[in-house]
Amino acid sequence: MKLQQTIGYNVIRQWLTEKGFSPFPFQEETWEAIHSRQSGLVNAPTGYGKTFSVFLGALIRFINENPKDYQRLSKNKLQLLWVTPLRALAKDIGRAMEEVISELGMQWKVGIRNGDTSTAERQKQKAHMPEILIITPESLHLLLAQKGYPEIFQSLQVIAVDEWHELLGSKRGVQVELALSRIISLQQSQSQTTNRERQTISVFAISATIGNLEQAREVLLSPLNKMGRTITAKLPKTTEVYSILPDEIEKYPWAGHLGIRLVDKIVPIIRKSTTTLLFINTRGMSERWYQELLHAAPDLAGAIALHHGSIEQELRIWVEEALHTARLKCVVCTASLDLGVDFRPVETVIQVGSPKGVARFLQRAGRSGHQPGAPSRIYFLPTHSLELVEASALKEAIRQNIIESREPMILCFDVLLQYLCTLAISEGFDPEQIFREVKSTFCFREMTTEEWEQVLQFLTTGGKALQQYDDYHKVEIINNLYRITNRRIAMRHRMHIGTIVSDAMLKVKFISGGYVGVIEEWFISRLEPGESFTLAGRNLELVMIKDMTVLVRKSTAKKSIVPSWQGGRMPLSANLGKLLREQFNAAGSGRTGIPELDVLQPLFELQSELSKVPRADELLIEQIETKDGFHLFVFPFEGRLVHEAMAAILSSRISRRQPITFSFAMNDYGFELLSDQPIPVDDSNVYELFSPENLFADIQRSVNSTEMAKRKFRDIAVIGGLIFQGYPGEHKKARHLQSSASLIFKVFQEYDPDNLLMRQAYREVFDQQMEETRLREMLHRIRQSRIILEFPERLTPFCFPIKVDSMRENLTSEKLEDRIKKMQSQLLK
Amino acid sequence: MQAPISFTVSGQQLWLSPMKAIFWESRRFLIVSDLHFGKTGHFRKSGIAVPQHVYRNDLQRLFSLVQYFQPSGIIIVGDFFHSAANREADLFAKWRNDHSGIGIRLVKGNHDILPIEWYRENNIDLHDGILRDGPFCFTHEWTPDLSQANEQYIFSGHIHPGVRISGQGRQSLRLPCFYFDQNHAILPAFGDFTGLAIIEPSPEARVFVLAEQQIISLQ
Repeated sequence: MKLQQTIGYNVIRQWLTEKGFSPFPFQEETWEAIHSRQSGLVNAPTGYGKTFSVFLGALIRFINENPKDYQRLSKNKLQLLWVTPLRALAKDIGRAMEEVISELGMQWKVGIRNGDTSTAERQKQKAHMPEILIITPESLHLLLAQKGYPEIFQSLQVIAVDEWHELLGSKRGVQVELALSRIISLQQSQSQTTNRERQTISVFAISATIGNLEQAREVLLSPLNKMGRTITAKLPKTTEVYSILPDEIEKYPWAGHLGIRLVDKIVPIIRKSTTTLLFINTRGMSERWYQELLHAAPDLAGAIALHHGSIEQELRIWVEEALHTARLKCVVCTASLDLGVDFRPVETVIQVGSPKGVARFLQRAGRSGHQPGAPSRIYFLPTHSLELVEASALKEAIRQNIIESREPMILCFDVLLQYLCTLAISEGFDPEQIFREVKSTFCFREMTTEEWEQVLQFLTTGGKALQQYDDYHKVEIINNLYRITNRRIAMRHRMHIGTIVSDAMLKVKFISGGYVGVIEEWFISRLEPGESFTLAGRNLELVMIKDMTVLVRKSTAKKSIVPSWQGGRMPLSANLGKLLREQFNAAGSGRTGIPELDVLQPLFELQSELSKVPRADELLIEQIETKDGFHLFVFPFEGRLVHEAMAAILSSRISRRQPITFSFAMNDYGFELLSDQPIPVDDSNVYELFSPENLFADIQRSVNSTEMAKRKFRDIAVIGGLIFQGYPGEHKKARHLQSSASLIFKVFQEYDPDNLLMRQAYREVFDQQMEETRLREMLHRIRQSRIILEFPERLTPFCFPIKVDSMRENLTSEKLEDRIKKMQSQLLK
Repeated sequence: MQAPISFTVSGQQLWLSPMKAIFWESRRFLIVSDLHFGKTGHFRKSGIAVPQHVYRNDLQRLFSLVQYFQPSGIIIVGDFFHSAANREADLFAKWRNDHSGIGIRLVKGNHDILPIEWYRENNIDLHDGILRDGPFCFTHEWTPDLSQANEQYIFSGHIHPGVRISGQGRQSLRLPCFYFDQNHAILPAFGDFTGLAIIEPSPEARVFVLAEQQIISLQ
């Protein structure tokens, strides 16, 4: 039957009409697809009812199957599984769904399942699964760790994976892939026995625009073995970008400094719009911005709030509520507000510092102007003057519609090991059955039988051991089912399900009681009692650290240390890098008519005077001698990760010609090699040093791949169950099981280097850390380019930010500031 | 492997081995610390699959040291066994049986929680707190108070000392070390499955770094 003739369709249509709405074509298309039991991907920007595409489709399907009593039927078991990456999204989506359900007079229940769900609520869900379950990937796996889980999914009709573009390209995406392979296989074996058409499950990804939408769909639907269809909302969405230009251009730019000085320029913007989101790249800087804003506009106190991942959850929820009701003028936030929920009152977005990629910039811009048809308005505020070039590049990217891809992850054995333990806890697994399922996912379709055997062996025998003196105990084989029977091991595993690995975090509490938030252990361990720091917008004095809790009191100190959280330093994307080179190309030849570039002319003039502004087909290398030693600066504009790898390779190539040692520093624009002796790079050898030949061997030879693998290994070891992070609140009991990732890495490196997880660490280094493909492409590009060698007599505007970044590591922020000022004044003499 | 290097403390001839042990010549004692035997086993029992060969290597190293120095006894300044008993303890017991002539004296460390009987069965002398022998005294964890109250030179362990060596151009390496201060010494952890704590050596101290089976005098 055609969709338009069905009762379900007409019920929904009528409900919409009563509300004065009519469906967008992409919504109808999705309903049609779900009606005919197809799967696919819905591509729509936020604020255009993407939720209603899949959700209403699921309702229509149910109404059509129960045309007479759809309003009466309750306890229908799980119908729609809604996977979402963010806890914060769940509540709002749930609320919107409940509203519709009640207006339609239906009896469906909406349940939320994530880390915040209470045990009582879970028990209730266990007894009576709601029709709709909104769940995070982690909680979905926890569901699979429950005895009797197959029962839950028997009635399931539709799976929606919201914000799939966010999950794809991360290990959480792999978790979704694995869970889907299990659920789909359960359904298929069921439909073989019942052979009912209604058992055909519909799987839909909901995604914002990314460069590889077709692949995104393929990845999700891989276990279904279906192509599916992509449904695109063809909605005109205009994005207006304005740059905030400083009155005076700093010729020696450095990150973090300029931004704050521009605070007075954004106060009028905040006053003008209903609500403004101020996106800051790091939690540390967001704390500073919050303080500075209060300083600059004291009358806005109470109407400005702070929102980031380390802030107490209740406070965050309060901020989100206040955003909905337009009670706030401005929220200073980090990526914590990147996703999902529509805050309708948000009229303006300000991005401070480079967003590092076009997609993220557009996503943040999209947080404003939620009414269909309304433009998204975003201001770009540079944290150092060179970033204005990025603003110009971003505008160009939007004009040309160039958006990054998200590369799906491949062969994540750490996630697989975790998943298999999860299944081993609940029902146990049959290796042949699960092998087929795992192979059906995109992530593991290239997995060999040998690798699978190694995975199973690792679980059952624990790798290399001294046979008779070994107590290894994890997964046992009982009647050909792989099971975990030890309750302690099972409990520990449950607590560790997940793929987001954070640094050791400590709770921060007032000594008089009251929770403030969490903070990285390494930061707080550097403070002495009595010193002050800033968290959640408050100045706090450290009293003592006791049992994994930081006890503080309110501080009256004028100066306090702002923690710099280490997470989430994103590299510049390849697309943005390319556009950036083109912008410099344009700027190097004088006036362009582009305001961001023209305002930078004094900086470019100084750069040309001392060195050169490279054209798009040129690679600039600067060699400078200072009292620190001999510096070699290279500017490929390929993002910090590629630069880190290239620095390692270059230093290894140079040191093979002559014994010499280096240290590295890098930012998104270029990198630095520093040595205590002259660096032998000149026009006789420079093309050879940047040759793509023998790249693979050189990567392996460069010492850094071990260092990088060590860093990657930390996450892998935690996800793969090699590091026990302790029980919450009772870490002492498990002290004898504690170890650091670097220790485990050292031991594996020496005693079992071929271990699956070690190999994965190196592969991740190649694929993600070094972005090997991108590195190779860069070297091929350089081969076609002209390499410009300059020998400036002092630091140039281009290399200055790299130099500053490398100093940052060893100095506190105030001392750093003093030193940089001194350097700036010396250079400008 | 580099030969042991000579070092004198309180007029006593010591030999520092790159195998993370000290040989006290006049008493013919081998001094070691923080062996953390059974740690791999403890992890593996809990389902954490660290390679057990680390432990086999530690045992072999101890065996080689005994072969080389032919000591009359071994003094362990604490953290001999990592945790509760496991099968790796049995492997040690087997080894112990084959070397029953050597006296083993253990100054208990915070990790040494095995039942008293186990030590007795394996012929290990237990000492709580402090063990004195001639000009020396041995304890697990050194504190300044301890040196105040003691004339003798103290050998200790516990912290798994290491130093960070920075080269020019901001390079750095972390390496385990022997640490000899005016009135006390800290030994490196013998066990390979152990971490490092970076110490700030006092100006008077002598520091010997262990790097790739070599001993290098740092200061």
